[in-house]
Amino acid sequence: MPRLRSIKELQGLQRRIRSRLDQRETLITVCAGTACQACGANDVQRVIKRRLIERDLVDRIRLRITGCHGFCEMGPFVMTEPQSAFYPKIDTRDVPRIIDALLADEYVEDLLYRDPTTDAACYRRDDIPFFAKQHRTLLGKNQRLDPIRLFGYVAQGGYESLGRALTEYTPERIIDEIRRAGLRGRGGAGFPTAEKWEMARRQVGVEKYIVCNADEGDPGAYMDRSILEGNPHSVIEGMAIGGLAIGATSGFVFVRQEYPLAVKHLLIALRLAREYGLLGTNILGTGFDFDIDIVKSAGAFVCGEETALIRCIEGTVGEPRQKPPFPTERGISGRPTCINNVETWANIPEIIAVGAEEFARIGTPTSGGTKVFSVVGKIRNTGLVEVSIGTSIKEVVYEIGGGPLDGSKIKAVQIGGPSGGCIPHGEFDLPLSYDSLEKAGAMMGSGGMIVMDDDTCMVDVAKYFMSFLKQESCGKCFTCRKGTQRLWEILDDITRGRGRLEQLDLLEELGGTVADSSMCGLGRSAANPVLSTLRYFRDEYERHIVDKRCDAYVCKELTGAACQAACPVGTEAWRYAALIARGEYEEAYRVIRERNPFPSVCARVCDHKCEQQCLLGTTGQQPVALRALKRFVTDRVDPSVYEPQRHSEPGAADRRVAVVGAGPAGLTAAHGLSLKGYRTTVFEAESRPGGMLISGIPAYRLPRRVLQKEIDALIDENVTLRCGTGLGRDFTIDSLLEGGYEAVFLALGAHSSRRMGIDGEDMAGVYPSIEFLKAWNLRDESLASGKVGVIGGGNTAVDAARVAIRQTGVSEVTIFYRRTRQEMPAYEEEIEGALEEGVKLEQLVTPVGLFGKKRRLAEVQFVANELGEVDAGGRRRPVPKPGSEHRVPLDTLIVAIGEQAASVGPKAGAGIEMAGGAVVVDERTLTTKRPAVFAGGDLATGPNTVIAAIAAGWRAAEVIDRYLRGRDLYQPAEPRLPRAYVEPVAVEEEAQFPAPRAKAPTAPAAQRVHNFDEVEGTVTVEDAAREARRCLRCDLEFTERPQGADELRQAGGGSR
Amino acid sequence: MITLTLNGLTVEAEKGSTLLEVAQFYGFPIPTLCHMEGLSPYGACRLCLVEIGEGARSRLVSSCTYRAEEGLKVRTASSRVVRTRKMVLELLLGSCPQSKTIQDLAAAHGVRQQRFRQEYDDCILCGLCARICEQQMMANAIGFRGRGEKRSIGAPFDIKSDVCRLCGACMYVCPACELRCTYTEPEKAICGGCANLSPPCVYADKFDDMMCFMNPCVACDIK
Repeated sequence: MPRLRSIKELQGLQRRIRSRLDQRETLITVCAGTACQACGANDVQRVIKRRLIERDLVDRIRLRITGCHGFCEMGPFVMTEPQSAFYPKIDTRDVPRIIDALLADEYVEDLLYRDPTTDAACYRRDDIPFFAKQHRTLLGKNQRLDPIRLFGYVAQGGYESLGRALTEYTPERIIDEIRRAGLRGRGGAGFPTAEKWEMARRQVGVEKYIVCNADEGDPGAYMDRSILEGNPHSVIEGMAIGGLAIGATSGFVFVRQEYPLAVKHLLIALRLAREYGLLGTNILGTGFDFDIDIVKSAGAFVCGEETALIRCIEGTVGEPRQKPPFPTERGISGRPTCINNVETWANIPEIIAVGAEEFARIGTPTSGGTKVFSVVGKIRNTGLVEVSIGTSIKEVVYEIGGGPLDGSKIKAVQIGGPSGGCIPHGEFDLPLSYDSLEKAGAMMGSGGMIVMDDDTCMVDVAKYFMSFLKQESCGKCFTCRKGTQRLWEILDDITRGRGRLEQLDLLEELGGTVADSSMCGLGRSAANPVLSTLRYFRDEYERHIVDKRCDAYVCKELTGAACQAACPVGTEAWRYAALIARGEYEEAYRVIRERNPFPSVCARVCDHKCEQQCLLGTTGQQPVALRALKRFVTDRVDPSVYEPQRHSEPGAADRRVAVVGAGPAGLTAAHGLSLKGYRTTVFEAESRPGGMLISGIPAYRLPRRVLQKEIDALIDENVTLRCGTGLGRDFTIDSLLEGGYEAVFLALGAHSSRRMGIDGEDMAGVYPSIEFLKAWNLRDESLASGKVGVIGGGNTAVDAARVAIRQTGVSEVTIFYRRTRQEMPAYEEEIEGALEEGVKLEQLVTPVGLFGKKRRLAEVQFVANELGEVDAGGRRRPVPKPGSEHRVPLDTLIVAIGEQAASVGPKAGAGIEMAGGAVVVDERTLTTKRPAVFAGGDLATGPNTVIAAIAAGWRAAEVIDRYLRGRDLYQPAEPRLPRAYVEPVAVEEEAQFPAPRAKAPTAPAAQRVHNFDEVEGTVTVEDAAREARRCLRCDLEFTERPQGADELRQAGGGSR
Repeated sequence: MITLTLNGLTVEAEKGSTLLEVAQFYGFPIPTLCHMEGLSPYGACRLCLVEIGEGARSRLVSSCTYRAEEGLKVRTASSRVVRTRKMVLELLLGSCPQSKTIQDLAAAHGVRQQRFRQEYDDCILCGLCARICEQQMMANAIGFRGRGEKRSIGAPFDIKSDVCRLCGACMYVCPACELRCTYTEPEKAICGGCANLSPPCVYADKFDDMMCFMNPCVACDIK
């Protein structure tokens, strides 16, 4: 190879390369970064090569193998030029079609990237939001060059900057240029690069060194690797310019041993640079000598700390030392050493090439340029993202990152790796810059962004990082070594349910000490994960400690089997599933009924939190159909097999308790108190008991005889039911307490619909959803007629729509919702059912005006919305489009935009405080502000699920019992872990895997729309058994097989 | 000579002296466990922290490793220093409660409790033994191994080193009494007996067989 002896020769080489490359060349680019190689890019590459050779296309189509493009989620992918088409996640079988399309200058439609929300194909790569919204100064180069050749880099203007710096710039001018560009170190702390260089330059009379720190150890960060793999020459050129600026003649790249591809590409690049005279002695004939060596790191995180790194290069143990003296004064072998991060070095040629002003145009005033972030975790588009410094977190996470994975909500991002901190969702407007992140308790670090959603436990996250740091601390200074161990130990206690509240203060105190007193950067930032999660998620810590709950179902000792932990009443779902698999249906019924006085009701209408948390479901398959299994059992087992256990306290029979409201909460409380021997009177304002179960839930979901049977079973000799007596109408809290009741439990529910706040809401034809449903469910009165509109997207809205479409005199029913179907809070199967029955769904509209004729509704004016920014709840906010108002003729409008509790006014009883449409209670003891008065269910929580109301009922019974016995009302929580052992059934070898989830039969839509018969049926015996066997039996980890289980098994019994 | 401010006093110090030396010269007590005259400064125990600088840019540094600078403002007992020092002592007590040195320091600083799970380690990894072995005894028989929580001190492969002359300097300097008499199994090198208050050597009739080179043994002294 010809050695380049002058700048002219470099320019000549560049001209020759460029003239050979046609501007509109036909080209296939394959990303072969480490991530893409891991998902098969090498196979794709080989198949393309073979295909090109076979079809004799080598001269017509060029194949370019590049480093990482950043869109790692989509690997392996290829791009074709000149179409600029982007084919994600391709298979080797797709290659021939892509080549054919390339030859015909066309696109392969079905392989193109599709927008996940609109499903529209993105033809050009730059139309993909992931790429379109980035500012790809560094990463953008990767796709245009082959890292193991020099030509690609030179064609892109490579080494031009070095040439210019050598001939036109003085060292002072270079440093000045960097200073004006506002470049700050990309390795984490953000020290101004020019200052560091200036300090190194001022040291005179000794040999100096340049170091590239490529010891990238943060979990989840890999941007340095990608730059080294994809564009090693940019780092080499940057280091050479740095050497020129500070007067160094040799440099080191300190690179992780675990990055074999980066090391390989770097070695090749160094060899090529030397061959072409771009490194070594007399570079480009200017008399400047500079060469670079590679030092491979031994794999300790702390070696990324510059003082430790220096010792590593010297050949001793990588331990940091106190600064000052700074490495720019005393570095390798005591000589001035200038250490910068890979990304910083890669930026240097760019600054010289475009000029400081142009470079500083992007970024913030105090920090110019772009930063590469590696966005990983619970996010749709995993990959490397390069944005200008100062871009908001929201933009990176939602617009580039594509937002959360299906059905989850992003909770926080951890920025800066183990030394960084968590930024909660509420702070996502924060700009990504050194200063703002540090203020928020995180740090830029090397730029790792780990996205977390509600399945992530923040205590567990902090514990993970502490476990990492306690292993990776060098251990030299005491506070870092012992402090991280102790922080981990306390966090471990908390995740195992052994934590105490005062330990939170200890965590803060110790964290502060570790940060304040450690020697190096690792220790000084080691407490950040703990301190930042404590700062923003203290409630989660408290939940672990006080309630012994991990709401993300991550901490095993607090969760046990997730299905059981998720159930508000703690139903042992795993246990009845296991019993069904064994065919022990009666025992299964007992297990269900023990915790739930409404088993048949919940088998139909429960929101099945157990299924949402089922391990099968959270690990990529479909969850066990636990509700269908429950339905199967309750349908075939007679309730009499369960005999509730009564333990009557002495004297309890003489004590009376009043329960107001005969809904699920009130009836469960009355039942619970009855089991303890108290005499309870249940007051119900309506004519029939059942509360929302009867007035809100339509009969096609919950047949009335099923409901009636379960209510009747709860009314025993200790319970008196008085319907048609309302609080504030027929009695007050005072009259109850004066009339001999020793405690009152208020469970009135939330029966008052929220209003839209539009003129004309009181017009005939406009009904609040609860009024509409009650009229039908309690009085068989049909309020809807003609064209019916329903406003809202919750379950009440869908119920109202499905009731309306079954009523005579209704011609059509449309649900109007302000967001899109994905954001609707109603259960998916309900929406599906409604659509099957002919209900129409109008998305992205908000009613703004009501117009009547003769005081009766005739038209509703809507405005169309588009989805805007993500709000605090994690859903995209609807924004009205100006000028999109339109009128829809409607005869009936049902408003179902949420319910709240009707006010328990002073008339009914003084001392009950209301806030936000609910009674204020202590969550753990259900006490109101008034002694002897308790409240629970929807009244206290706002509209909630049946099972939550039942849980409140149980708790009320427990608390009132304690109150009447004069005990402390608060009972310390215990984690609900599986206790009983159920022998697993043998899995058949020919069983299908993964087995499909059982589906209950439903009545055909055409038939069911004319009546109120139950829609959903029961699964068959075979399906139930198969379904129950799908259970992964998380419980077995917590239970022990009793002695003698084998004999029991042979005897055919032994469920315990 | 350079001039700096020490606890509000303007003091002079020789160029190159550490803040610890300056403070000690002027009579300001600074506790330390890993510092010893004649050995290289190490900065591991973090007890000798002092606060330097002013306002938002002030920070804590270990005075044994920080060289005096012209015009530097140093506080050896600011509330931040005291608070941190107490936490360091609490951590030390949580790990090595038996060390007399640590107990005395904790008592002197008003640390009356420790809130961590009690451990009974014998070593705080101050590195004095390794440094005296290397820098004064020129033996380099023991050193650090591992990192983070797995860091420990000892001879290579836990076998008594050939270059060890059994001089006992390591035990002499130890603030937590790590390398002690080897009881009757010299190969094990570390017996940990002195810290137990009932060391095996006290009751052993084979005292003469032991490789005990503490004379008198600290533990025997207590007895």
